[in-house]
Amino acid sequence: MPAIQVLPDLLISQIAAGEVVERPASVLKEVLENALDAGASTVEVALDEGGVRRLRVADDGCGIARDDLPLALARHATSKITSLEDLEGVRSMGFRGEALAAIASVARLTLTSRIAEANEAWRISVPGGELAPAALARGTVVDVEDLYYATPARRKFLKSEPTEYGHCEDVFRRIALARPQVKLQLTRNGRIVHRWPGAAAAQRVAQVLGEEFTGAARALEVQAGPVALSGFVALPAYSRASRDAQYFFVNGRFVRDKLLTHAVREAYADILHEARHPAYVLALTLDPRAVDVNVHPAKIEVRFRDARGIHQFVYHALERVLAEPLAGAASAAAAPAAFHLPPPGAAPAQPRFQRELAVSEGGVTQAAQRYFDAFALPRTGTAPTLAPVTGFAPAALPAAGAALPLRPGAAAAAGAEQSEAEAAVPPLGYALAQLAGVYVLAQNRAGLVLVDMHAAHERILYERLKAVVEGMPAAQKLLIPAVVAVSARELATAEEHAATLDRLGFEVAPVGPQELALRSVPQLLVRAHLPDLLRALLEDLAEQPASRVIETRRNELLATMACHGAVRANRQLAPAEMNALLRDMEACERADQCNHGRPTWVQLSMAELDRLFMRGR
Amino acid sequence: MLLIKAPRNQLLQPLQAVAGIVEKKHTLPILSNVVVERAGEMLTLLASDSEIQIRSTTTAGLDQTNAAITVSARKLQDILRTLPENVDVTLDADERRLTVRAGKSRFTLQILPAEEFPRMRGGEGEPVEIQLKQNEFRSQLGLVQYAMAQADIRYYLNGMLMSVAGGQLRMVATDGHRLAYCSQPAQTPEPGIEVILPRKTVLELYRLLSDGDAPLTMRVWPSQVQFLFNEIELTSKLIDGKFPDYNRVIPPNHPKLLQLARAELAPALQRAAILTAEKLRGVRLVLAPGSLKLLSINTEQEEAQEELEVAYDGEGLDIGFNVTYLIDVLTHVDAENFDLRLNDANSSALFTLPGNDNFKYVVMPMRI
Ligand SMILES: Nc1ncnc2c1ncn2[C@@H]1O[C@H](COP(=O)(O)OP(=O)(O)OP(=O)(O)O)[C@@H](O)[C@H]1O
Ligand SMILES: [Mg+2]
Repeated sequence: MPAIQVLPDLLISQIAAGEVVERPASVLKEVLENALDAGASTVEVALDEGGVRRLRVADDGCGIARDDLPLALARHATSKITSLEDLEGVRSMGFRGEALAAIASVARLTLTSRIAEANEAWRISVPGGELAPAALARGTVVDVEDLYYATPARRKFLKSEPTEYGHCEDVFRRIALARPQVKLQLTRNGRIVHRWPGAAAAQRVAQVLGEEFTGAARALEVQAGPVALSGFVALPAYSRASRDAQYFFVNGRFVRDKLLTHAVREAYADILHEARHPAYVLALTLDPRAVDVNVHPAKIEVRFRDARGIHQFVYHALERVLAEPLAGAASAAAAPAAFHLPPPGAAPAQPRFQRELAVSEGGVTQAAQRYFDAFALPRTGTAPTLAPVTGFAPAALPAAGAALPLRPGAAAAAGAEQSEAEAAVPPLGYALAQLAGVYVLAQNRAGLVLVDMHAAHERILYERLKAVVEGMPAAQKLLIPAVVAVSARELATAEEHAATLDRLGFEVAPVGPQELALRSVPQLLVRAHLPDLLRALLEDLAEQPASRVIETRRNELLATMACHGAVRANRQLAPAEMNALLRDMEACERADQCNHGRPTWVQLSMAELDRLFMRGR
Repeated sequence: MLLIKAPRNQLLQPLQAVAGIVEKKHTLPILSNVVVERAGEMLTLLASDSEIQIRSTTTAGLDQTNAAITVSARKLQDILRTLPENVDVTLDADERRLTVRAGKSRFTLQILPAEEFPRMRGGEGEPVEIQLKQNEFRSQLGLVQYAMAQADIRYYLNGMLMSVAGGQLRMVATDGHRLAYCSQPAQTPEPGIEVILPRKTVLELYRLLSDGDAPLTMRVWPSQVQFLFNEIELTSKLIDGKFPDYNRVIPPNHPKLLQLARAELAPALQRAAILTAEKLRGVRLVLAPGSLKLLSINTEQEEAQEELEVAYDGEGLDIGFNVTYLIDVLTHVDAENFDLRLNDANSSALFTLPGNDNFKYVVMPMRI
C-alpha cells in the first residue's frame, strides 16, 4: 500500500463528512473495511460488552509503516486515493481518511502494526500518541476501548449489550457475505461465536444464513457487458417478515439502495405477498466509474450513472430466475422412484445466464425441501386452475340449498315455494369451487360471490384475536418447542418483550445465542408457520418500549398474528372448509374488508354476468 | 387382447385396494390411471401417487398372451362398483382402447401405455426384512395413528415413527401438541431400524391390513419401505427427517395419579365439549380430594360442569386442555380403564393403561 498523504484541501471539501461512528457497529464497520482494504485474508473480531468496553480487530493485511502510524490517525489522511479522479473510480472501501480519526476522538484507540518488510512491529495509542515498539507477527491490530468515554452523553444513547452486539453482528455478517474467501472469526465476551473458514460464495452463504436459506434459494449469475449480478435469491416459501435477510452488495460494499430494493421487490411482486419480504444475497459488480459511492456518510447509499439501466438489468435477471418452475415440485412427479432432485435440464439455459439448484447434495435438505414445497407452493404466474369441488354433495346442505335456483330472477316469479327456499340461503351462499388456490367461488341469491380466502380469513382471525386478547388468549403448550433461528437482535427483542409475548400467548426462551424456543402459541394460531410468525412479531416489537407496547401497538401486533395465522394461498380447501369460511365471514364484524382495507369479497350479480355474455333481458 | 375374464368382485377387490391412493388431481396425468397388467395366469393392478405405490394381484383365468395398459382408475372403479355383484366381467384391450363387458353392458375407455407409468421399484441394495403379523401391526397402528400431524410444515411430523430394534416394535406419532407411543415385543433385526412412514402410507396400511394373524413382511431400505401382505405389495417412500426424541417428552414421574373409567370420563368430556368455545376447544380439569370436575365455557358465556368421583386425596390442581385431544385417546384406545398422571398446570398429562407399560399418550396443557 502506498504511503499516506494529506489530501489537498479542495478534495477534502468534496468528500462527504458525517457521523462516522454513531454506535459500536459503525466503528466495527470502519475497522473491518480497513482490514479488507489492506488485503487481509484472515480477520478476527473480539467484542466485549457489545463493543462498548472493547472492540478489537486483528488482520493479516499489508500493515502500516512505522512513520505512517500517526498519519493513519490524522483527519483526512488516506493512502487510498490522491485525486478527484481516484475518488471517481474508487475501488477500496475507504477513501475519506476519516474513520480512524473519528474513532480516536471518542474512544481509546491503539493501533499496532507491522509491514512485511519491517523487522518489528510498532504501536501508537491515543490519547497520548507516542510511538512504541510492539510484538506482532504481521498485519494490524486495532483496539478500541471505552467507546464514548469522553462523551458520556453519547453513551446514554447506546442500547443494551445484546442490542449493540446484535448490530455489530449484522455488520460482521455483511462483511462475511461480501468476502467469502476471507476467513473470519467473531468472539463475544471471550466466547467464540462464529468461525467461518474462507469458502466459495455458496458455502459462505450457508454458513452465514443457514441451510434453511440455501435450501430454499436459487443461485444466479448474469452478466451484461461490464455489469454482472450474482448471488442467491430465496423462493417465496422462505420469505421473511422482516428485512433482515436482504443483502445487496455493490462492488463489494453493502448498500441499502432504494433503486435496487425497488427492482427486487418488482421482480418478486407477482409471487410474494406484500407484507412479506423477499430474502436474498446479491452482488452487483460494475465499473467503479459508473457508480458514485460518496453520497452518504456511512456509504450505505450509492448513485448509479445509468440508474434506469441498472434497475432494468436487476429486475429482469431476478424475474427470470424466480419465474422458472419449481424444480422440486416438477421432479417429484417426473421421477417418482428417485429421492434426489434431477438437475433442472428442462429449461434451456440462456447463454450468459446460468442457474443451478442451490441445495446441497444428498438426502435431508432435498427431501425436506420437497416436502416443504408440497405444502407451500407459491403463487406462480401460470394459468389459473379451477379446482373442482367433487364430493360436494348437495345432501350435505340444507335441502333448500340443493334446490337453489340458478336464476333467481326467474325463480322469484315461479312462486312462494321457491322464495322460501331462497330465504334459507345464507347471504354469502354456498361454495362452488376454489380458483387458483386463491379465491373461493360461491353462489348466493344474487349470483356469484368471489372471496379472497386469505384476506377474509385474516380479517376473521383479527377480529377473533381482538376479542380474546381483552382477556388472556388461550395458549396451547407445545410438546416439542419450536426452535426458531433468530438474529442476535431478534433474540434481544424477545427477551426484552417476554412479558408482552406471554400476554399474547407466546412463551419464548432463548436456547442458544441464535435460537429461541417457542413453548406455547395462541390456540387460534396453532396452524401458523411459527418461525415466520415469531419473527414478524419481533420485527413489530423491535425498538418499542417494552412497558406500553401492548397498549400502543396492540392492533398492529394482532394484525401480524392474524396475517400469519390465515390460510395461505394455494392451500386446497375442502368444500366444508370453504363453507365454514363463508359462515365465519357472515358472523364476523367488519368482515367485508381485510386489515389493509381491501375488499375480502365481491359480488357478481346475474345481471352483470349476463351482460358479459350480451344476454339482454 | 383379453386381459381378464372373472366375476366382478374378483376384479373390484384388488382394484379398490390399489385405487385408494390415486389423487384426484396430479401434476402427472398418468398417475390418475391404474396399470392393468397380465402375465401368464396372473393379473396385476398397480396405482401410485409418486410417493406410495400399491400393487395387487388376482388370477386372470385362462393363460393368455402377456399385455399391459393403463386406464382411468376412477372410471373403471365406478363402472365395476355399479355392476351387479356376480356378473362376469371381461377386460379387453386393443392399441387405443379398453373394452369392459359385463352382461349386456359395454364400455370403451381410453388407455395410456403402461411403459409410461412411473413405477417405484424398491430401494437400492439389500433390504432389511422383518416378519410381522397383520392384526398385531394393525392394532398397534390404531393406537398411535390418530396423533399424526396433518400438513404441518414440520414435514417429519406428518407421519409416524417406526422403530424396530432391541426386541421391540415401537410406533410414535405426534402433532406437536400431543404424542402417542406404543411398543410391542417383536423379532427385530440387528442392527435395528428407525424410519418415518408418511401419513398417507400409515392410513393406507391401516385401511388395507386385515384383522387376522396372516403374515406381513416388511422390507426396509434407507429411503423406501415395502409391505407385503395378502395379495398386496405396498411400496412407500420414507420421510427423511429427524423425528423428535419421544423419550424426552414422556414424563417419567408425575406425582398425581387418577384412575379413570372410560365409561364415565368419555361421555362427560363429550358433554363438556358441547359448550367449549368453538375454535378453542378448551376444557378445564379441576382436581380436588375425591373429585375431578370438568368445566367449559363458550364465547356466549354458556357453561358446562361435570363432576367425577375419584380416589384421590392429594393436592388440588386446575389445568386446561384441548378437549379433542382427551376424547381422541379415549375413542382410539380400546380399554375400560385409564391411568391419568398429572403434575402442575404447566406440565403435560400422561395417559397409560393400568398394568401396561406399552402404551403412553402425552398431552400438553392449554392456558384457557
Ligand atoms: N488494518 C489496516 N491495515 C493497513 N492499513 C490501515 C489499516 N487501517 C487503516 N490503515 C491505514 O490508515 C489509513 C486511514 O484509515 P481510515 O479508515 O481512517 O481512512 P480510509 O480507510 O482511508 O478512509 P475512510 O474514512 O473512508 O475509511 C488508511 O488509508 C490506511 O492507509
Ligand atoms: Mg477506512
